[in-house]
Amino acid sequence: MADTIFAVRDLVKSFGGLRAVDGATFEVARGSITALIGPNGAGKTTVFNLATGFIRPDRGAIELEGHSVFGRAPHTVARRGMGRTFQITKALAAMTVLDNMMLAAPDQPAERLIGLATHAFTWRRQERAIRERAMQLLERFRLASLANSYAGTLSGGQRKLLEFARLLMTRPRLVLLDEPLAGVNPVLGQQILAHIHELRTEQGITFLFIEHDMEVVMNNADSVIVMAFGKVIASGLPSQVRRDQRVIDAYLGAHAEDVA
Amino acid sequence: MIPHLISIAPFGHLDFWLGVGIVAGIYAIFTLGLQLNVGFTGIVNLGQAGFMAIGAYAMAILIVNYGWSPWLALPVATLVAMLAGVIVGMPAVRLRGDYLAIATIAAAEIVQSTAQNAINLTGGNNGLLGFDAAWQTIQIWALGLLATIGLGQMDQIPLFALTWITFGALLVILFTLQHTPWGRVLRAIRENEDAAEALGKNAYAYKIQSLALAAAIGAIAGYLLALNITLIYPGTYSADFTFIGFAILVLGGLGSYSGVALGSILLWFVLEGARFIDLPLSADKVAALRLLIVGLVLIFIMALRPQGILGKREEMVLRG
Repeated sequence: MADTIFAVRDLVKSFGGLRAVDGATFEVARGSITALIGPNGAGKTTVFNLATGFIRPDRGAIELEGHSVFGRAPHTVARRGMGRTFQITKALAAMTVLDNMMLAAPDQPAERLIGLATHAFTWRRQERAIRERAMQLLERFRLASLANSYAGTLSGGQRKLLEFARLLMTRPRLVLLDEPLAGVNPVLGQQILAHIHELRTEQGITFLFIEHDMEVVMNNADSVIVMAFGKVIASGLPSQVRRDQRVIDAYLGAHAEDVA
Repeated sequence: MIPHLISIAPFGHLDFWLGVGIVAGIYAIFTLGLQLNVGFTGIVNLGQAGFMAIGAYAMAILIVNYGWSPWLALPVATLVAMLAGVIVGMPAVRLRGDYLAIATIAAAEIVQSTAQNAINLTGGNNGLLGFDAAWQTIQIWALGLLATIGLGQMDQIPLFALTWITFGALLVILFTLQHTPWGRVLRAIRENEDAAEALGKNAYAYKIQSLALAAAIGAIAGYLLALNITLIYPGTYSADFTFIGFAILVLGGLGSYSGVALGSILLWFVLEGARFIDLPLSADKVAALRLLIVGLVLIFIMALRPQGILGKREEMVLRG
């Protein structure tokens, strides 16, 4: 059995009378690319929000690298190594692309007022190192020429790339991507997928992503988790999941056979 | 015969304009705190006059009622105002947008009504006197110095200088802070709190720091205001002060510290300059007319430069 980086057990969250997540249980293997799929309203994005602290869970367990992050604040979860993107990108519009990137660097003492005093003579040196790393990542994502543009002037696809690159500045070990290919042109989509595979190989980053395009899921994920009505109804290898009758009934439908 | 619409003579009254300059400077300092909150952190603080009152009252109470030295009372009073910022901020910054604004204005109202009613401590509506002995000494010394260059009668110069030197010092501090990683996190929170949190930044802690610093700046404006009118009473620290501060903020430009100075000078120049419009009207009508003119100037400038005098157009458009 592979080493588990992230585990969710019996997770429950109700909004009024609606049980958005109803006892979901799953694990994500370290170094894997795992897809989270399911019909609209299945609770996929809610699971992301619960895992990353944006919504407080009612009960259950959420563990990152063996430690509970249940009910922790988003910034705490992020500092523990679980990063995320949002379905609708959250570029910091009136800041430059480079400022977006530099902001995300972890362990900046000069981010705190006390740190500014104690590191008065060294923080600028750290800034230079952060800037260098940010530029390297921007080169990699072909955004370097836009470094000094306001993030708000970028196209939708470029914003997706920026959000991804910015997340990598935090040096995450597990990355949650909420529909990374939605609203992105096919060429850019392929570029994003290539980045995911490269980063997994080079840096051992684990990816959990929500995606509706089954072709993308089948071709890129090592493992698939299927949710419906707030529960995990199946999980395993893409080839197994695709043949699962519950998955076909709840999500894939009859023409699942057409998919490559 | 054509009546003089504007009589030129009062513009030559340097002493009058020095007085206006002091008020403009005090408002500019006050608004620096608002700029930190509204322009750079994205929190709408409508309670700034309350923090100013807490600082000024704490200073005067420590000096007058407890006989403290002003050199000790000033830093302690500033800390008291900051503490008030933290106490108001802890529940309030969890609220978003309009709710936060309402919570801060409520806090300021509590301060004002406490100042009116805690008579043993604050003197109620009679206010507090006699906190400025040290300043009087300094002023006499400064005026003696000015007399040697023939400016001995210009008795507003010392406070004018103190006010604008204080503004300059605060401007440098805030401008420097804004260009550090700390300032970058504040701007990120202004842009999108969720994104900042997802990148590991504790938005709550930063918003409280922003509010506490603004409260300290408000307290400093409060000390200067107290020196200017030599009396501290509740009416001075009404919510109107905050609203004029917001007019200055918008006029100067959101997200620009130096714009605050220009906004304040322009607003007070127009407001006080309108005194000299010579019309056959009663005094109360002229007073109303002055505010009307300020309103028209505000509308005119906003039509020409919606981002304010020194605001960046990109920041306004992109954030909308």
